[in-house]
Amino acid sequence: MIPGIIDCHSHIAAEAINEGSVSVSSMVNMEEVLDPDDIDIYRDLAGGVTSANILHGSANSIGGQTLVIKLRWGQPASKLPFEGAMPGIKFALGENPKRSNFSIPGQPRRYPATRMGVEETIRAAFSEARDYKKAWDDYNKRVAAGEKNLIPPRRDLKLEPLVEVLEGKRYVHSHCYREDEILMLLRVAKEFGFKVRPFQHVLEGYKVADELASAGVGASTFSDWWAYKVEAYDAIPSNAALMTRRGVIVSINSDDAEEATHLNQEAAKSMKYGSLSHDEALKLVTLNPAIQLGIDKRVGSIDVGKDADLAVYNHDPLSAYAVVQKTLIDGRVYFDREKDIANRAEIEKEKKALTEKLKQAEKKPEEKKAPEKKPEEKPKPPAPTPTPTAAQGAATQGGVR
Amino acid sequence: MRLKLFRRCAFALCMVTSLLLLVRLPLVRAQGGEPQYFAIRGAKVVPVSGPPIEDATIVVSRGIITAVAKDAAIPPEARVIDGKDLTVYPGLVDAFADVGIPAAPPSGGEGGGPRRSQEQARGPQDRPASTPWRSGADEVNLSDKRIESWRNGGFTTVICAPKGGFFPGEAAVLNLAGERAGDLVVKSPVAIPLSFQTSGGFGGGFPDSLLGVLAYIRQVWLDTDWSIKAQALYEKNPRGVARPRYDRTEATLAEALENHALVLIPANNTVQLRRAIELIERWQVKGAIYGGQMGYEVAPEIAAKKLPVLVDLKWPDAEKDADPESKPSLRTLRFRDRSPSTPAALAKAGVKFAFYSSSITAPKNILKAAKKSIDAGLSPDVALRAFTLSAAEIFGVADRLGSIENGKIANLVVTDGDLFGEKTKIKMAFVDGRLFEAHEPEKPKDPSEGDITGKWKLSYTTPEGPEESTADLMMDKDGTISGTITSHRGTANIISGYLSADKFSLTSNIVLDQGPTDVMFTGTFDGNSLKGSITVLGMSLDFTGVKPGNAASTTAALGGAQ
Amino acid sequence: MRKRSATRLRTPLYFFNFLCFVCLFSAPAAGAQSQPPSVYAITHAKIFTLAGSPIEDGTLVMRDGKIAAVGAAVEVPAGAQVIDAQGLQVYPGLFDAVTQMGLSEISAVNATVDSAETGSYNPDVVAATAVSPSSEHIPVTRASGITEVLAVPASGGFDFGGGPGTPGGQASAIHLAGWTIDEMLIKKSAAMVLNWPQIQTETFDFATFSRREKPYTEAKQEYDRQVKELTDWLDRARHYAQAMEKGSVSKYDRDLKLEALAPVIRGELPVLVFANRARDIRNAVEFCDKQRLKMILAGGEEAYKAKDVLRSKDISVVLRPMLSFPPDEDDPYDRELTQPAELAAAGVKFAIASFDNSFARRLGQNAANAVAHGLSYEEALRSVTINPAQILGLGSQIGTLEQGKIANLIVTNGDPLELTTDVKYLFIKGQLTPLENKHRRLYEKYLNRPKASN
Repeated sequence: MIPGIIDCHSHIAAEAINEGSVSVSSMVNMEEVLDPDDIDIYRDLAGGVTSANILHGSANSIGGQTLVIKLRWGQPASKLPFEGAMPGIKFALGENPKRSNFSIPGQPRRYPATRMGVEETIRAAFSEARDYKKAWDDYNKRVAAGEKNLIPPRRDLKLEPLVEVLEGKRYVHSHCYREDEILMLLRVAKEFGFKVRPFQHVLEGYKVADELASAGVGASTFSDWWAYKVEAYDAIPSNAALMTRRGVIVSINSDDAEEATHLNQEAAKSMKYGSLSHDEALKLVTLNPAIQLGIDKRVGSIDVGKDADLAVYNHDPLSAYAVVQKTLIDGRVYFDREKDIANRAEIEKEKKALTEKLKQAEKKPEEKKAPEKKPEEKPKPPAPTPTPTAAQGAATQGGVR
Repeated sequence: MRLKLFRRCAFALCMVTSLLLLVRLPLVRAQGGEPQYFAIRGAKVVPVSGPPIEDATIVVSRGIITAVAKDAAIPPEARVIDGKDLTVYPGLVDAFADVGIPAAPPSGGEGGGPRRSQEQARGPQDRPASTPWRSGADEVNLSDKRIESWRNGGFTTVICAPKGGFFPGEAAVLNLAGERAGDLVVKSPVAIPLSFQTSGGFGGGFPDSLLGVLAYIRQVWLDTDWSIKAQALYEKNPRGVARPRYDRTEATLAEALENHALVLIPANNTVQLRRAIELIERWQVKGAIYGGQMGYEVAPEIAAKKLPVLVDLKWPDAEKDADPESKPSLRTLRFRDRSPSTPAALAKAGVKFAFYSSSITAPKNILKAAKKSIDAGLSPDVALRAFTLSAAEIFGVADRLGSIENGKIANLVVTDGDLFGEKTKIKMAFVDGRLFEAHEPEKPKDPSEGDITGKWKLSYTTPEGPEESTADLMMDKDGTISGTITSHRGTANIISGYLSADKFSLTSNIVLDQGPTDVMFTGTFDGNSLKGSITVLGMSLDFTGVKPGNAASTTAALGGAQ
Repeated sequence: MRKRSATRLRTPLYFFNFLCFVCLFSAPAAGAQSQPPSVYAITHAKIFTLAGSPIEDGTLVMRDGKIAAVGAAVEVPAGAQVIDAQGLQVYPGLFDAVTQMGLSEISAVNATVDSAETGSYNPDVVAATAVSPSSEHIPVTRASGITEVLAVPASGGFDFGGGPGTPGGQASAIHLAGWTIDEMLIKKSAAMVLNWPQIQTETFDFATFSRREKPYTEAKQEYDRQVKELTDWLDRARHYAQAMEKGSVSKYDRDLKLEALAPVIRGELPVLVFANRARDIRNAVEFCDKQRLKMILAGGEEAYKAKDVLRSKDISVVLRPMLSFPPDEDDPYDRELTQPAELAAAGVKFAIASFDNSFARRLGQNAANAVAHGLSYEEALRSVTINPAQILGLGSQIGTLEQGKIANLIVTNGDPLELTTDVKYLFIKGQLTPLENKHRRLYEKYLNRPKASN
């Protein structure tokens, strides 16, 4: 049994990931598009994941607002957020925000198109945010001084979260790859007086591990992804271990719903590629991400008084032969392998029955009418909300109009 | 269809033929001479606001109901209608439609905020795809054939709004008859409908995702709120203060919100419904939900917030021409099975709801769809109320219509039996006190041979070259056909169509320079293909139609699909 | 007993590997070429031959690239380089049966990608032509115990389950070592790639970056057209082959594409058919059966749904990674993970492959996960060694540790499928091959970065 796995970089449980139209999309908020019916929540639960950091995509230098959720499958969206966890915002550096790898036919390239422009986009946004904060501070001061009939500044949803970053009320999760861009953001953060927490992907983090450590910034990386683009060509599977050795708090994340189901295995690779101890490796997907997300008081280790978020394996979890048997969140069993297997036939049975029923209704409306005309027929009781084990799928079908 | 050629060579003809068309087509005829007083005597009256009254008399005077009683006095000038075996209901309300506005304009920044028309929106400040100042009341076009066909189906009133964009425009309550467009308007504006639909994908400017749309709308509410305050403060003391910028979106919305217009929010499944409940709270607007089909799962939550719901009557159905091997998921099957039980669940939870036609193209299918809900447990009384008084209450016009009461607008529908009965026929409708006798839509004389349902590719040659369009047809058991015809000009509903023996006839109505124009497709159906002629403005040309899938597939012999 | 003259090799490993790297890969000075030893002996190892029970404390002798002897009581020949493998284990090197090794370096950079030729019909293109022996992927992949792979050209890209229903070219089986592609080759033309066409009702509109629904009848029509086109090509190839056999090919203009299809229609060259959904698999099987083609299924996401026909037609499968989600929402979450066990129970022969370059080193991890979900360990090992060799017609040359076979093998400190196991020595064609690679170089370099002063 280990503490529930915490995925520091996830895109599950959301109906939209990217507002890719603008270079600064801080006005959008992942919390507004949570999708508690996303089957990937259940599948990740089955991989022992209990909490996940739901991030906006990386199409923009400054992306949308993010949040940490618990994988409470079967509960409505309002019950997913990790209570009290610090909200975040996604930044992205390098090839994605500068759109190196694709272009939209018939459109000029969007600014920024270089890493230089990415830096300036972020600096410009924070300058604007500073001015915005000042405008409100001035207004509030004048109101407090008794001035009447002042026109307040306009509220700006784009700048508000950046002000929160400046005030230390919102974490910055910055997608990055290359050493130079990592240092660039550290400089910008210093200039404007905010902290990055943590760097995401950070595949060349091992090259600037000392700088990360001395800035007190965490790093959340992949186990062994590399070479899918130029900025990932120097990625190495020892990244997590090298950074750990230099005193950086490191986690291993998924960025992918399937990858999340075996984060325990991904953590184990750091034992092979960088000689981390069993305990150090396990922390990469439990306590360390909890620290990075500021939720380590409640989760990330098994301790008296902490949330009972647990994953139970049939084998050493740092082995490729381990399979999750049960996953608990807040002390409640949200995934039970035995029950899942037992339930499979039920799902098939219900599908078959419904398919048959709907086919009949479509084919012979007249014949079907007869029994339904009974006047004593009562309204059907409302369908029960699907429980985690009762249904792998609750309904989201059918958009509006 | 590209019809320049017709315009070029047929100007003289069209004057004559369009006259002919006008005479030929109407399914419901306004009675000339315009009697102002009516009495329906001895009918069963279902006022909705009270219990049904058997053998009652209703008096209609100059557009208003002036008496409803067992033995109300009949004024001598009234034209008396014998109500024996007839039932009178309040005129039905389609609670959200664009009936009365023929075609949707292109969406995306149309006339809106972007600084230059071709430029993409770069943020909320550019007011992408927003035209809140458009109004259902202003865009009424009497030539929309659906006015007639909806009335013919028992609908005397629609809540009508423009389509397209995130803030498409204001909704108005329209009565479906009048000499001039303005005659139709009962109240405007009554609602601000929203749409969350983006034009799709990257490259369309801000916003391109649900994330962006929700942020955008929230920013617009904040801006509107600011605009109201800032404008008032500026008016008090304009000296030495920068003046607030004028913004048409803010100005229109400010006015509508001050008039307590209802904000209509799209939400169909459980996740969307719960999200809508939260958005309404966050936005601090007077909200209502449209869609609502998965209401069976969250009815009590909607009730707790006292939110009205407009229920989409186009129930989810198996897709036409879907891949036979792509099996719907359990959640899809459950949704298809249970969605018609939503109205019953809403009623049980105490949610106020009305019905709307959504993408149903044939008005008779609106009542049929409601019947499905009755079969799924909804009481017929509540169903009727949803079509009448509830709708009126939701949009704040229950003081003038929605029930049969003294002093209310004389919107009535007269049937020969129970409104939801299988065999019931609508005999007449009163709209603003004007009588319209219903005529059955054209029906085939002979039983139809074969089923014409499906997607057809129609090919024909104009003097400008070969062209194609697509007919998406749905045939009922009685041989009547509904559906759409799509060409590169756009999509038009089929307003009347049938298959009699092997002869088909389809009529759609499109807007040309001369105004709305009927296009008729007539010919023979041999089970596999269509052959016949297209007639527009008296001109005709030959066409053939095939179903793309039926084209000979000889390759099946070697490794064909299963 | 070990002969005195035998040179004993001991760790430190990195140092040893570095030496090997220098002697194998640095450009030798003119006239100073040293020939690598031609005889090696591994002693005191537990040897998993996969051709019988494991041999405790066994010896394996390699000579001139081949396995000369393997067993418990094998003499170490004079002059042999000896590796004392006390506490270590010997396995056949792993065989990754679908990769783009050497054909794609950085997938996002077109200039480094040679895996997919443009156009629909390219039976004449051959992977080996474009395999870059200097690819950084080769030593990285090798370090995880993979000694040979199939380099596969693909029109549609593996992950997209097809694309155009066309021959994408010839796949080449290669060793993961060699100065030139010629030295790397096991078999230049090992299979003809066929991306099976799908009936695609969901399409993606790249103009608007949005999904589009296509009516089934339309999609089916498009599919029928593709199958017909494929049939026509095979018919023409048949005529062409007949003409060639009768020596009358001069009457034809020489057609390189039809010529390339000749071994396919003769059933000599297997077709590696990429298909994932059940219908596509069944359609492909039916097609290949009618056309009398020798089919190997690649991908096989839903192969379990067609297991009976696969077994009855004796069609083997190269499975894509089981660490992947099933296609349908209602599928059991572990559907892909349990499939290998299900296919094994049904008697369908299969290999497991990475279908990638960067993730090739997850080959063992995938096989181990299949074991965690019911596959026998023995079968899992076979699915990444002898099974792929047999499926590609190379079973007599490679895939087990038997006398006379090519000496591709690994010496490990544990289970080669387990995440934490290290490969200690690796032999390709009987040559000790370095485990040094880009990742290790960078690791060493930055491990030794002096502490930053700030």
